[in-house]
Amino acid sequence: MAQYGGYQRTGYGAQGGEDGGGFIGGSQQGSQGGGGGSKGYSDDSLRPVTIKQLVDCEEAYPGADLSIDGIPITQVTVVGQVRAVNPQATNITYRLDDGTAIMDVKKWVDAEKADDTNPQFGLDTYVRVWGRLKSFNGKKHIGAHFMRAIDDFNEVSYHMLEATYVHLYFTKGVPGQQQQQGGAGGGDGMFVDGGHGGGGNNAMQAGGAVNGPARLAQCSRNAQTMFNFLNNSPGGNEGIHLNLIASQTGLSVRDVISAADELLGQGIVYTTMDDETWAILDY
Amino acid sequence: MEATSTPRITCAYLNSYVGKNVMVVGKVMQLRGDEAVIDADGNITAHLNRDSHLAAGSGVQLIGKVNPDLSVKVLSSMDLGTGVDFNLANTVVEIAHQHKSIFTYDQ
Repeated sequence: MAQYGGYQRTGYGAQGGEDGGGFIGGSQQGSQGGGGGSKGYSDDSLRPVTIKQLVDCEEAYPGADLSIDGIPITQVTVVGQVRAVNPQATNITYRLDDGTAIMDVKKWVDAEKADDTNPQFGLDTYVRVWGRLKSFNGKKHIGAHFMRAIDDFNEVSYHMLEATYVHLYFTKGVPGQQQQQGGAGGGDGMFVDGGHGGGGNNAMQAGGAVNGPARLAQCSRNAQTMFNFLNNSPGGNEGIHLNLIASQTGLSVRDVISAADELLGQGIVYTTMDDETWAILDY
Repeated sequence: MEATSTPRITCAYLNSYVGKNVMVVGKVMQLRGDEAVIDADGNITAHLNRDSHLAAGSGVQLIGKVNPDLSVKVLSSMDLGTGVDFNLANTVVEIAHQHKSIFTYDQ
């Protein structure tokens, strides 16, 4: 798409307008948004993801880039088990399950290569897929560039951890960097965001970013988890009860209580209805 | 596409998943007919199905339903051989529970 757009712009460049003015082609390109024409390979990345992340990600408006954690995705890699194989004339559709969700993977067939037309992977085999997430008629699938079987099960574990690492990298920033920047920048949440890939606004929309006070950086991880949960939950002034925080964050009740003590001590949260309900202190 | 997940769990999480489908990676400790004991950060009793071909001492991935007595009724099993890093698999379970937003749907 990007290459096509770029070509058009060159062709009609004499017309002067930024987006090609009245030409149908030009205006279509304009509506693609996000500066589709100027996007090059330099923006491409290969991101490890879970299938649930792909299922959950939505385009902001039709035709917009699909993004996860506020970062547009280009190439992705997933690992999962083949649950169904459906050979068709032009492609082989594999139904891939990685335990987090299920999604179809289409591997297009090269008719010239005889062995391409036969399914390569049997049921229940673990495979790694490299490809792009495609959205067609509101239904998403992965268009696979390449697939291979996984011999060593540890690669599955490794992939899940890597996907988590990248998710945390985009939502919480580079490990270790947060504290330094928090100290230097006087606690400006945006400043922390700016540090990784310029995803500032996007990261905020993703709702995972730590935009807390600078003092939060000195708190334990449990306290930061609790703050993030409070920050991302609706309900505002009423606060959120201990039990709900514990069940939603996966922390134990004791951990939540000590995290709350820590946050109270820093003046980041306050108790509302009772001693076990907290809300973020905004000022 | 399909918003159903099979959460990865270890022995310690059985309690929270009674009646649900889960995925367990562990080491086969004992085989007794159609029953097996799997070590996944603690021993889990698994009721095998006809298609299960397990080997004692090797790694296995079970997908099954957690019974009220905290045993697992196996729906599908896969032998993983002997090269499985069980600490790594258990770590994945912990991480998956810390970051549910990218791993599991609430069921």
